[in-house]
Amino acid sequence: MIAEKNITCIVCPIGCKILVRIDGMKLEIVGGNKCKRGIEYAKNEAFDPRRMLTTSVLVNGGEWPIVSVKSSKPVPKEKLFSILKEIKRKAVNAPVKSGQTIIENVANTDISIVATKTVKNNKIF
Amino acid sequence: MNNFQVAIIGGGVIGSAIARELSKYKLDVAVFEMGSDVASGTSKANSGVVHSGINSPSSSLKARFCIEGNKMFQVLANELGFPLRWVGKYVIAKNEEEVYELERLKKVGISNSVPGLKIIDRSEVKNEEPNVSCFKALWVPTAGITLPYQFTMALAENAAENNVRFFLETKVTGLKKQKNLFLIKTNNGDFQAELVVNAAGLNCMEVVSMLEKPDFQLYPCRGEYLVLDKNYSSLINSMIYPVPVKELGVLGVHISPTIEGNILLGPSAEFIDDPYDKKTTDETMKNLFQEAKEIIPSLPDKAVINAYSGIRCKLASPESGGWADYRIEESKNMPGFINLLGIESPGLTAAPAIAKEIIKMISCLIELKKKNSFKSRRHRRKRFSEMSAEEQSTLIKKDERWGRIVCRCEHVTEAEVIEALSNPIGANAISSVKYRSRAGMGRCQGGFCTQHIVRIMEEHFNIDVTDIKLKSPNSNLFYGRNRGGSK
Amino acid sequence: MIYHSADVVVIGGGPAGLAAAISAKKSGAEHVVLLDRNSWLGGILPQCIHDGFGVEETGVSMTGPEYAEKYIEVAEKQDIVMMKETVVLQFDKKLEIIAVNKTGLHQIKASAIVLAMGCRERTRWNVMIPGDRPSGIYTAGVAQAFINLYNIMPGKNVIILGSGDVGLIMARRLKFEGANVLGVVEVLPYVSGLPRNVVQCLEDYDIPLFLNHKVICINGRERVEQVIIAQVDEKMNVIYGTEKKIGCDTLLLSLGLIPENELAKNVGIEIDSSTGGPTVNQYFETTLSGVFACGNCLQVYDTVDVLVNDAKNAGKSAAKNSVIQKKNKKVVTKVLPGRGVRYVVPQIISEPGKVHFTLRAEKPRESSVLYVIADNKELLKKRLPWANPANIIGIDIDIPSELMIRTCNLEVMLGDC
Repeated sequence: MIAEKNITCIVCPIGCKILVRIDGMKLEIVGGNKCKRGIEYAKNEAFDPRRMLTTSVLVNGGEWPIVSVKSSKPVPKEKLFSILKEIKRKAVNAPVKSGQTIIENVANTDISIVATKTVKNNKIF
Repeated sequence: MNNFQVAIIGGGVIGSAIARELSKYKLDVAVFEMGSDVASGTSKANSGVVHSGINSPSSSLKARFCIEGNKMFQVLANELGFPLRWVGKYVIAKNEEEVYELERLKKVGISNSVPGLKIIDRSEVKNEEPNVSCFKALWVPTAGITLPYQFTMALAENAAENNVRFFLETKVTGLKKQKNLFLIKTNNGDFQAELVVNAAGLNCMEVVSMLEKPDFQLYPCRGEYLVLDKNYSSLINSMIYPVPVKELGVLGVHISPTIEGNILLGPSAEFIDDPYDKKTTDETMKNLFQEAKEIIPSLPDKAVINAYSGIRCKLASPESGGWADYRIEESKNMPGFINLLGIESPGLTAAPAIAKEIIKMISCLIELKKKNSFKSRRHRRKRFSEMSAEEQSTLIKKDERWGRIVCRCEHVTEAEVIEALSNPIGANAISSVKYRSRAGMGRCQGGFCTQHIVRIMEEHFNIDVTDIKLKSPNSNLFYGRNRGGSK
Repeated sequence: MIYHSADVVVIGGGPAGLAAAISAKKSGAEHVVLLDRNSWLGGILPQCIHDGFGVEETGVSMTGPEYAEKYIEVAEKQDIVMMKETVVLQFDKKLEIIAVNKTGLHQIKASAIVLAMGCRERTRWNVMIPGDRPSGIYTAGVAQAFINLYNIMPGKNVIILGSGDVGLIMARRLKFEGANVLGVVEVLPYVSGLPRNVVQCLEDYDIPLFLNHKVICINGRERVEQVIIAQVDEKMNVIYGTEKKIGCDTLLLSLGLIPENELAKNVGIEIDSSTGGPTVNQYFETTLSGVFACGNCLQVYDTVDVLVNDAKNAGKSAAKNSVIQKKNKKVVTKVLPGRGVRYVVPQIISEPGKVHFTLRAEKPRESSVLYVIADNKELLKKRLPWANPANIIGIDIDIPSELMIRTCNLEVMLGDC
């Protein structure tokens, strides 16, 4: 099946709309890119679109109620919402250190969810 | 307690003024207010002017109560600690023809015993108001400005300190007279009272209808206002009013300084069908600005920082000229049911005098014994931003919360926010903080302070985030928590 | 009153303030004090949990909190005095600062001050949207703080006004937290934010984009119930008949940032109306000697990398200010934004030498030429394949000493090839 679609390149701020034709595993650049970098981007985006995921996780006993987190690497687009669902169920106890792994192999991937902020213990007097 | 001697329906400036007067006597008084705070309706959405009395015909109740009220304001301000400035007013005439109107107003003023009125020519006006263009003007020295919401809150809080019970977010849904008692149904339970005072403002007709057929009609008339940035506060020193437009019997576009240093343009006047339609409209906002620019040509375009509207409770239709006097009377068929109808401008000014009149009426119905324990002075402290460095340092030493600034634009401290939320009538909406402490009224319009006010509400007052309201029972700010469910 | 003195006082502990303070210390200032109104440092960064920070600077794309922590760590090691939950009430021409915090009132006598107060967000009334005054109207930054710092959801059915990056980022954030993002409304015929964000925040989630539209009315007595949007023409006037009612409970405003300069205005420092920030020379010095400005209060930057680079220079200048003699600055060159250019920083050149300029184009254009002309001489001519107001253009020019013999103007223009 041959499909044609537009991919907006995000390598540089111009944002060329590149028209691609996909035939199974073959990609043909029809046109629209102003430079070569767009071709590489379009290839990746067409077959395996991935995005960096950033969100937050509940913290117990911390000076902040949640800690911001990120995926250790870009996640496959189609798994995004199932990953978010798993993250929403998670809670972590303070203290949390930036860089600390919160969830390993989230949604059966080799990607982990990592804290991006340090959250100290809540001062209780 | 559900039984009271006097139940006041409506916590606006009129209801609050009456409550305060009643609190001087040994009585059980309740105020039922459907909003989340006092001054939720027209009482907060007006010009904040303390009128001199030149605008009402001499034989009217409006004139009588305005002049009496005006005389009472300074003493009240001293006792209750709300801001008041006697800035005076220029009624300006554009041409020779309009000077006749100035002379007419002066005559009315004199017959109302308004002191100090004089007609002056443009050069004298220019001396005091270099930015104003006019032909001649009538100078009215006994006109002043206040903050209408703070005035109302001061009255209500003093009444509460003197044991008046305030029931907020409580709407009266039904009234019945059973022998000598009124049965009052509300969304927060049932109550009983010997006397009912209907100070419900725009809802006054709805309240009357609960007991009898109203013999009047209400004609809500919306007034929109524009608020100018404080940077332009030096444009005028006193209030500037063009000669009143005769057709509607309402006041024209005014330019008034405010207590806080902003300039107010308005109000407009538009008869509307829905008494709760407080929208500001593009057309009117533009017209207001244009009309103001005719009086102050140097008014810059980007000066507007806020807009709001208030609804006048009019008893006269636009066709009839839109002017009607106040109706303050005990119902003929329902003794003990006292109605205050059509309280529009000069309602704010008239409030203290109207309250005294209501006391007179009530004294004929039940025995009034003065309280020895009446606390006439309300505890009021200067704002942190108004204090000297020494005063500030001393307070911070006593309580470190005076050193934590919550509102950066207006320099309002955490202690003041907590004080605002600790008010004796139990109001705890965001606007309750805003109107008492000024937090959120600056340039960033709550951009910085809102998160801190929310934190204080949660931590100090145990208010759940889903219960935090902006200003009225269903104006919740938040949907809930994203993680972990509610606390 | 608690009395202090310092060589350099930095007002604002966001990325600009942190970078300036660190740089001041490294450049020889002994006693450096940093003041911030929040209980945390990093300014707005801790709530910017998305990535994309620091790519130019470090090659690594960090999230806002990570970027902030990096600088805070360095600042702590530098022995900079950090006063949190401290608000500067004012400072005067003698550079005496009055600040307040829970320990009391502080008077800090500074040899040099660096302004790094950042921005506030444009509000509904700055653009006068008519209608009711319900709850549920949030500026994007405030909504972001509630979601990302306090675990509070501002609404469920959201319309976003303004297609700047903050609005786009929030569209995605709200979607992630289960909101129904009904659309982004933009008055211009093009998106103000980066194409990367249009892809990652709108296209990925099929969030509709209404270009050439504005919100003409907000309805809702107590909470937002509906907004009315309408199409506009090239002059941004409403085209009657195109009104569309959209039921929603939240209106997010992403209308742009306004540099926060009340402190500077109160002491008479000149503000450039095209940037909203103080007029500065190439050393980031304002018109009040010894007071420097950097970060978003100087101009609204597009990336933190460019912002921090300038802030480091401002910090260095502030440190040197307390050491070098002030030269006679009677002859200055004024820098003017010419055709096609919205603004240029710095606005004043007080000495010859290499100067780094940051400027913004007035509107998006392809294939332009950037000209810098002074005293009828062309100082720079550079081809730009594209120019976008959303992206700051940075250029370096060697200002010759001949130019500084007498007062003249330097003009920066963007023209066609």
